[in-house]
Amino acid sequence: MAKGEYLGEFEHIVLLIVLRLGDGAYGAMIRAEIERVTGRSPAIGAVHATLERLERKRLVSSWIGEPTAERGGKAKRHFKVEADGVLALKHARQTLERLHKGVSLRDATA
Amino acid sequence: MRPPFLAQALVAAAAPASDYEIVAGDLHEEYLRIMHAGGAKVANRWYWAQTVRSIPSLLSYSRSNRSALRQLGVAFTALGVLVAMLVIDTIVQIVFAGMDQGSDWVWFCAHWTVAVAFGAILARLVKTDSLRVTFFAALFLVLCFVIPAVAGHPGSQATLAGWIVLWGAIPAMCIGAGLYQVIRHRIDTAR
Repeated sequence: MAKGEYLGEFEHIVLLIVLRLGDGAYGAMIRAEIERVTGRSPAIGAVHATLERLERKRLVSSWIGEPTAERGGKAKRHFKVEADGVLALKHARQTLERLHKGVSLRDATA
Repeated sequence: MRPPFLAQALVAAAAPASDYEIVAGDLHEEYLRIMHAGGAKVANRWYWAQTVRSIPSLLSYSRSNRSALRQLGVAFTALGVLVAMLVIDTIVQIVFAGMDQGSDWVWFCAHWTVAVAFGAILARLVKTDSLRVTFFAALFLVLCFVIPAVAGHPGSQATLAGWIVLWGAIPAMCIGAGLYQVIRHRIDTAR
């Protein structure tokens, strides 16, 4: 993975959430799932800015859906994780596992 | 039941033109869910909190693949508006110099009114992504004065009141652009 293509913490969370939700995940759904899983309540703007950054890195792709009444007649942008996104997640997990190797959190004092 | 109008207009002003409908739709969907669960007051408070917290992020990205020519056009428009604003502002300053000024606040308000008006004019001229263009144009204007002062360039040191007027031009121009968006949004939704 080239320098500058590493995942930031929030990018990592958003990418994992999109993967958990499967193809077709969209902004409000992603925001609500982040809140449910992590307990953090991100701003919808931050979610969209992060998704745009991930799309620019070609880790996710998006398409526009149909407008619906429960959204005030406004359309959704759906997202799905691309092969490069899965690769980035694997790389991030391997890096974290390597970092944790040999470190005992039980013995560490707070 | 509709989300707070002013908050909607702020989202419209801050979001990239290509994503406004998407972001507003996401907010609307969650707003209705929260309203059914907790009532209008809770939902309105949630909507406002989301709007205020989202503005910096919404201003930070753009999906549009604007051509270099279009970007250059926007930059020249912004520059032209800034020059016109400085000319009018200088006239205001000359008028004030010839008068018994009274309170500093009157002087501040006169300058900021000019900034509000020119923020609205810039928003009208650039049409899309107007709040972000206005914000960066105002920041550019302020830096044009701050950088020479920091570098110690002779004649660039302003008084405290001068710096207050200068830094206040950023929110004032953004308020102007926001007001223009609110009025335009109201007209568009009335149609």
